[in-house]
Amino acid sequence: MVSQADSTALEIERRRREEAEAESEEIDRTPVRSYWQLVRRRFLGHRLAVFGAIALVVLALYGIVVPIVTGDAWTLTHLFLPDAPPQLFDKDGNFTFAILGYNETGQDLFARLGKATQTSLEIGLAAVLIIVTIGIFIGSIAGYVGGWLDNVMMRFVDVMLSLPALFVILMITAFFGGGNVWVVILAIGITGWTTAARLVRAEFLSLREVDYVQAARALGASPRRIIIRHMLPPALAPIVVAATLGIADSVVVESALSFLGFGLGSQEASLGTMLENAQNYFFSGPLKVVYPGVVLILIVLSASFLGDGLRDALDPRQRIETK
Amino acid sequence: MGSYIIRRTIQAIPILFGVAIVSFAIVQLSPGSPIDRFRGANVKPETLANLARLYGLDQPIPQQFVSWITTFLQVWRREAWGFSLSDGRPVRDVIFSRMPATLLLGGVALALTIVVAVPIGILAAVKQYSWADKIITTFATVGYSIPSFLLGIYLLYLGGVVLHAFPLFGMRSLVGGGSPLDIAHHMVLPVLSLAIQQIAGWSRYVRAKMLEVLNQDYVRTAKAKGLSSNRVTYKHALRNALIPVITLFGLTLPGLLSGAVITETIFSWPGLGQLGVIAVAQRDYPLVLAFVMLGGFGVVAGNLLADVLYGVADPRIKY
Repeated sequence: MVSQADSTALEIERRRREEAEAESEEIDRTPVRSYWQLVRRRFLGHRLAVFGAIALVVLALYGIVVPIVTGDAWTLTHLFLPDAPPQLFDKDGNFTFAILGYNETGQDLFARLGKATQTSLEIGLAAVLIIVTIGIFIGSIAGYVGGWLDNVMMRFVDVMLSLPALFVILMITAFFGGGNVWVVILAIGITGWTTAARLVRAEFLSLREVDYVQAARALGASPRRIIIRHMLPPALAPIVVAATLGIADSVVVESALSFLGFGLGSQEASLGTMLENAQNYFFSGPLKVVYPGVVLILIVLSASFLGDGLRDALDPRQRIETK
Repeated sequence: MGSYIIRRTIQAIPILFGVAIVSFAIVQLSPGSPIDRFRGANVKPETLANLARLYGLDQPIPQQFVSWITTFLQVWRREAWGFSLSDGRPVRDVIFSRMPATLLLGGVALALTIVVAVPIGILAAVKQYSWADKIITTFATVGYSIPSFLLGIYLLYLGGVVLHAFPLFGMRSLVGGGSPLDIAHHMVLPVLSLAIQQIAGWSRYVRAKMLEVLNQDYVRTAKAKGLSSNRVTYKHALRNALIPVITLFGLTLPGLLSGAVITETIFSWPGLGQLGVIAVAQRDYPLVLAFVMLGGFGVVAGNLLADVLYGVADPRIKY
């Protein structure tokens, strides 16, 4: 016979089990999401990051489409149109894109700004490619091998960080350059890789001791395979963020260089060359200085928003979803 | 503490040596030779060879490096840093003559930054999500994203051309200038263009750190034992929130020493930054080398100073 007390205890136990089941069902009802689904959700929840991404796409499109549509309008000078206000039709009645007016040599500012955006973004991307390549190379070797090699490489990073970077870029472009795009890109690239290298090294130092990497090593995988297949993918997130922010930095450095007269030649169109000699235009046409400046600020702002958003979205430790 | 400073100073020596090697290498690799400017139809090859021997250019490169660096280190001698190729003055004198203007500009900008950035960073953190916080954060984000040279151009246009309130260039008025008031008047725009970006950056760090500190247990304990919230914020939390300011101070110091290259050029400020740009443009190698070394020294000194100050601000740090 089951006593009264026992049956009560059984009843309580049964209820508890039911509650526990209900609870676990509730947990099961929340959908399981993959890492990339979570990344997408977190990114889309970051309004400024979405704005940054859209703004960058629009700017890139401006830099791609306008030079195609307007052809060589960015470099054509019109003798009779120096500092002319915007005009949509030329004297033959043909449609022009000069909605921003003309500069002091009669060049179409809208077309020139498009070409400049293209050039500056290209320089930014190319420089970041160099930065990321050197950064991954140095950082992964230092982090993977460790020991004295790591020590030597990090002291070299310390030396690079102690150099006045902008000034060294000025030196390289002035001594080797002569307005060559590739010298500018290389100068920015070979002075800017230290942050990327440090990030990669830090990730690799912690990944090196992780079980699955040890397992790969025990299975006889070559260092190259371990680095490329097993350690680089999880270390990629901080690199992507650093690269996003690096594009903005490189674009700014290029503009500053050209502004000081060390970057591209003034017959080229980049945001910096459009700002060059800005002081001379204060009285004739200040808007010429405003347009490239606005594009530059937009690039920097959007890239930093995008970078912040990517940092939060790509972080696998951040499991809590933002609404 | 004393032994820590000595140890760090010794550690800094190889880094400065590396800086010297890299800057020397850039100059060595650059095309052309210092005696190129003497070349001409009427100059005999023997004369050029003599010149090369006079300048030590016929020596092997490592030997040139050693003789350069050993001379360079004798700072107490006027000619230690060589002679400027443009006007023949000792580089050391040229640099020291430019230094006061740079220190003045950078020092005032730094003081303004500390005085403004720390209070507004604290305000934004203490009143998180209030309208004041939103305004400060927006200003900080936008201010930080405007490249400093762009800000300089726009400030110059706004203050000098549109408002006619400030001079367009230089440090002193051409006629009857030089009084402290005159210099201050010339300084307003360059100081602003340096300080705004620094204020934006610093206030973000102060806000973030202050928020972090305000959420810590010891702050809750201080509140729980009945201290007024002002006392908790300004006595207990602030001290720990100021640690990033020390880092930023260390990072700003080299700029103070070697000058703001772009800002000084925009405003024609007669400091080291402007001198550096001119030196590079004229390929004045002795001046350029001295400038890079000074910049490297500034970075190393700034880092060392920041690390020592950490120990002063944070008693948990032991050397």
